[in-house]
Amino acid sequence: MNLQEHNISDNNFEQCIKCTVCTVYCPVSAANADFPGPKQSGPDGERLRLKKPDFYDEALKYCINCKRCEVACPSNVRIGDIIQAARIKYSKKKPTVRDFMLANTDLMGTLSTPFAPVVNFALGLKPTKAVLDGVMKIDHRRMFPKYAFGTFEGWLKKQAQRQASFDRQVAYFHGCYVNYNHPQLGKDFVKVMNAAGFGVQLLDREKCCGVALISNGFINQARKQGQVNIESIRKKLADRDMTVLGTSSTCIFTLRDEYPHLLNIENGDVRDRIELATRFLYRLLSDGKVNFRFRRDKKLKVAYHTPCHMEKLGWSYYSVELLKMIPGVEVQMLDSQCCGIAGTYGFKKENYEVSQRIGEGLFRQIEESGADYVVTDCETCKWQIEMSTSRRCEHPISILAQMLES
Amino acid sequence: MKQDETMTTFDVIIVGGGATGAGTARDCARRGLHVLLLERSDIATGATGRNHGLLHSGARYAVTDNESAEECIKENRILRHIASHCVEETDGLFLTLPEDDLAYQSKFVEACRSAGIQAEVMDPKEALRLEPSANPSIIGAVRVPDGAVDPFRLTASNILDAKAHGAVVLTYHEVTDFLKVGNRITGVQAVDHKTKEIKRYYADVVVNAGGIWGHGIAAKAGVQVGMMPAKGALLIFGHRVNRMVLNRCRKPADADILVPGDTICLIGTTSTKVPFEEVDNMLVTAKEVDILLREGEKLAPALAQTRILRAYAGVRPLVASDDDPTGRSVSRGIVVLDHATRDGIEGFVTITGGKLMTYRLMAEWTTDLVCKKLGVTAACSTALEKLPGSREEEEEVVKRVVSLPLAQRRSSIARHGELAEKLAGNTPVDNSLVCECEEVSIGEVKYALNELDVNNLVDLRRRTRVGMGTCQGELCACRAAGVMSGEGKYCAKRAKEDLASFLNERWKGMAPIAWGDTLRESEYMSWMYEGVCGLKSPQKQGE
Amino acid sequence: MKFDTLIIGGGLSGLVCGIRLAKQGQRCAIVSSGQSALHFSSGSFDLLNALPDGRVVENPLEAWEELAQQAPQHPYVKLGRAMMEELAAEVPGLLGAAGVLVQGTADKNHRRFTPLGELKPTWLTLEGYAVSREADRLPWKKAALFNIAGFLDFYTGFIVGGLEKWGVECTTRLFNMGALEHLRKNPSEMRSANIARVFAVQENLEELGRVLQRNAGDAEVILLPAVLGLERTHALAYLREVAGKEVLVLPTLPPSVPGLNAQLQLRKYFQELGGTYMLGDSILRAEIEDARVMRVYSYNHGNISFVADHVILATGSYFSQGLVATSDRIYEPVFGLDIDYPVDRENWLDLRFFARQAYQSFGVKTDECFRGMKDGQPLSNLYVAGAVLGGFNALKEGCGAGVSLLTALDVARQIIDKC
Repeated sequence: MNLQEHNISDNNFEQCIKCTVCTVYCPVSAANADFPGPKQSGPDGERLRLKKPDFYDEALKYCINCKRCEVACPSNVRIGDIIQAARIKYSKKKPTVRDFMLANTDLMGTLSTPFAPVVNFALGLKPTKAVLDGVMKIDHRRMFPKYAFGTFEGWLKKQAQRQASFDRQVAYFHGCYVNYNHPQLGKDFVKVMNAAGFGVQLLDREKCCGVALISNGFINQARKQGQVNIESIRKKLADRDMTVLGTSSTCIFTLRDEYPHLLNIENGDVRDRIELATRFLYRLLSDGKVNFRFRRDKKLKVAYHTPCHMEKLGWSYYSVELLKMIPGVEVQMLDSQCCGIAGTYGFKKENYEVSQRIGEGLFRQIEESGADYVVTDCETCKWQIEMSTSRRCEHPISILAQMLES
Repeated sequence: MKQDETMTTFDVIIVGGGATGAGTARDCARRGLHVLLLERSDIATGATGRNHGLLHSGARYAVTDNESAEECIKENRILRHIASHCVEETDGLFLTLPEDDLAYQSKFVEACRSAGIQAEVMDPKEALRLEPSANPSIIGAVRVPDGAVDPFRLTASNILDAKAHGAVVLTYHEVTDFLKVGNRITGVQAVDHKTKEIKRYYADVVVNAGGIWGHGIAAKAGVQVGMMPAKGALLIFGHRVNRMVLNRCRKPADADILVPGDTICLIGTTSTKVPFEEVDNMLVTAKEVDILLREGEKLAPALAQTRILRAYAGVRPLVASDDDPTGRSVSRGIVVLDHATRDGIEGFVTITGGKLMTYRLMAEWTTDLVCKKLGVTAACSTALEKLPGSREEEEEVVKRVVSLPLAQRRSSIARHGELAEKLAGNTPVDNSLVCECEEVSIGEVKYALNELDVNNLVDLRRRTRVGMGTCQGELCACRAAGVMSGEGKYCAKRAKEDLASFLNERWKGMAPIAWGDTLRESEYMSWMYEGVCGLKSPQKQGE
Repeated sequence: MKFDTLIIGGGLSGLVCGIRLAKQGQRCAIVSSGQSALHFSSGSFDLLNALPDGRVVENPLEAWEELAQQAPQHPYVKLGRAMMEELAAEVPGLLGAAGVLVQGTADKNHRRFTPLGELKPTWLTLEGYAVSREADRLPWKKAALFNIAGFLDFYTGFIVGGLEKWGVECTTRLFNMGALEHLRKNPSEMRSANIARVFAVQENLEELGRVLQRNAGDAEVILLPAVLGLERTHALAYLREVAGKEVLVLPTLPPSVPGLNAQLQLRKYFQELGGTYMLGDSILRAEIEDARVMRVYSYNHGNISFVADHVILATGSYFSQGLVATSDRIYEPVFGLDIDYPVDRENWLDLRFFARQAYQSFGVKTDECFRGMKDGQPLSNLYVAGAVLGGFNALKEGCGAGVSLLTALDVARQIIDKC
């Protein structure tokens, strides 16, 4: 008899028992009084919205979807998910041109990379920044990630043959950032995978994972792109013993965990075969299936920053253990806290101050750390850290590539 | 000290602060009578506050009791007009499940139409589109003008209007005896439970509107009214699963109505005759919970995965027909007893039977009788004049309380209608939330304390929904007790006693369904109040 | 992922156990499915405040014999009197090493204040909290109580009532500060932890210092709600210096700032000792062979399992889902360990909220060494510690923290002795 077996709800918000722990760990409510806070926006608000949709509060847009509330919650309430789903369901605010520009990371990348030197130059100019700030409401204090001259995809295609020569293969979901802004990380990834005995392939079609589209309210477009991605992944994995790897914690998190509930894209059949490169390598190394030969002449002190989505995935362990395996690398763990950028959030003029306030504690700790590099798995954290501190910030895979014996 | 005469002598005394008593007070006061209402506890504490909160279309009674059905649909239309802020116009569906006889549907529709109830037979698919939570295996659906009505708001609003017309309302005043001269009732003796004082009040007519307790009240006046208490148990779920009222299209039975109301929905009822000794302490058994769940899931399968907040039970006053001394034949219709003609006792009237839906009509008939006795000819206006709170459109009120944070704005207007305007001048501190589940601010608590006859946390809950949310008082009760004490309602010691009583009262409803998340919540609540705060039982706290 | 010991549950019990083992050089991982009950701490840890028959206990150690009579299944009884004393003595030093400073001794309960102004017996209290050595009087005659206007989780009226009961004269002052205005603008976020963030900024703390200095009058002691000390541990010392008198804090409703601070400190210390702390993950299932836990799998780590010589279950009770109740049974969800409880759910609880609730005493069955029992047999490398254990009522006996701490230390001791 199905007599409320558990009295535990499918309506996940009902598992909230109002303990208020989430409110302690919300980086936004500490910095922005206009945000109603995770408890009010999430489970409490959801109940009211189910009563009547006009309880939806546009201030939910201040949530940065860092999921730190979810990590802290002792009741497994998916607070961040509830808030994001409510934004999709109820928000009536139309995204602006600015939001469109920020959200369409791949479109902007496609337009910019052929003219990278010009675009980078122009984005750095004061008059451009003034226009962006005044007209577009993109904060003038924000530094733009530079566009690369030529995409990663273009580079990899040129050496497809060499990659095909490896017995074992992985597919790489490089993401927009590697493709347009930082192909070097992709090259590092290829170097490391090759060293591990794996060739790297692209998906037939890769679209932006959609995280910026989702947070800026372009849900239909995000869904279309997501469908393309999952279809491509499905096709790639269909009859091969292969894994899809990524180097961006946010892309991978979105593909695995945001697609089903926010975009209604079923990914259950492939989810477990989409993972981060560091997790993949950790497993190979700890099972003794791969042995890297590291340089002995170089010493590095790095401080690892846990991006919010890494915290949610619980996977920073792999990145850190991987770094610890490299002789000559000394790893310091920074306290796990949000850097404040949250993708496109920190670019918006109205969020700039809040964004920097959220990151304050982290920046202070970084400056005090004495590390050569900050290491992290997220590209937007990298921008924020490099803009807000005196340190360079690198991906663990890049550190690994740097320390491999050539 | 001698009491002021206007405070001791009245045209009419109404005993009982349920919907009927409050409605009678309103009607009498509007017809110019000097009214005293005495309630032994708080308003809406009896059956008024312990039912479905269903704004019956009458459809439920159409087949079995066409007269009641007609009364219902008439009052349904009136309440939509006079009590719009207490009513949600959700409409309802009568669902036929595969196990039900579809032939009943045509009989049902026929009966509805003859009672003047609009009943539209729908394609089950269309019904499921309208109400996605309904059981997808339904084979038939009829749409009727059911709705939801909030009994606490309705009663409070009647009280406000009665007071606005000069009525005196004294809660926590229990009638202990009747004052008589010969065979005429001249007043009552009552104990003020707050001060323990014994007081006397005089009037030409005393109305017994005590619901099931009216049995005992009548006995004090020396007359017998054959009542039988029938217990009905209900379950409250954590949020609104359904948009429309869901009924089973069959002969009325256990747990066949699911009503959405404010932030929650509730399923009920069972029906069991209980002895009089139990009516003050209704407990819901595990068996009743199981029945309610099993039947509820048939209406809306989602209930199987929805958190249950609490279980509670009310007592219907079934009245034996006067011409049946065995008491077996009962009437669910309205029963107005003029004890002068029935028992030879002058100046005493009992109003009983009926249901929440017909409270206004019951009040009208009672007031008619009272007026006849007093020789007053004023006509009834309660069917036309809107109740306080229902006098303006929601969107109009919104404009005047834009200073309130959004969720508070919506919630306070839902609770108080245009009276929410009284919160417009709230300071930021007043806007701080006492109850986070139901969006009750300090300002709203203060308003309730000052204007809505609130004496303790349970009263406050009935006026504002403090503690009615999913946490059942875990966060808000302590805050609210603090605010009440800070406002001078009572001293800190009494506040703690009150807090302990409130938690006891909440727990009584949680215990029958305390497993899963509710048990987790209960454990947390115990840690908080007993552990961290060191709160003891109300008795020990009082020592 | 290979560890010497895997601890499931990252609350007081799990952390203390992990610290003890990591100190001994063990490679430990703690997996916690969310933040712990320390976030609702009263600021004190109880050892034993009352016997099951209701008698108040002044000396928890001496009460052991009586407890053994009345509650033979109580974890303390399994520990034995000598071990209870030895481990209890170890606690203040261990907490202190992590930066969690406490006052109190196991042979005499002192009194703590509650947010309702009641005095309750307890064993250890975090430094900075107002306490009384005696059950029937307070150490001061005149106090100045301060609160932030609009902070609802601390009602001064309750405290004043409590102080007056013991003959302490008390002034109350509600104060306001510009830096708190942004919290006040928000109808729900004037919470202890958010206020503590404001006072973590030096200039705001300085302003608070000035408020106290100006308004404390001739009181001997200044009392504040516990909204201080997030990040800045010297906050109270600073205020004392500025005000020129004792400044102490009183507990608030949740979240508990000193409690969450304690959690942060313990976690940090554990990590400094080389421990791995994984938050926000749940253990889903375990592989058991020959009465031994071989592998456990978690939600986040999917097909990468945890392998450890020893596993400790410190998942807490219902709140943290160490125990799960459905309408017809109560179970331990990770290993399916044995639990004793009556079949009929109406016997799980009492309809009076403040009565002894049977469900609160249900918990996992263990052998004498706290090894978890499954189908009547102990699992050889699975130890159980803290609130998930059965046989005691943490609230009625006032022994929740004590059971968590002592059983954690005991299983750590056993693992160390074995290795």
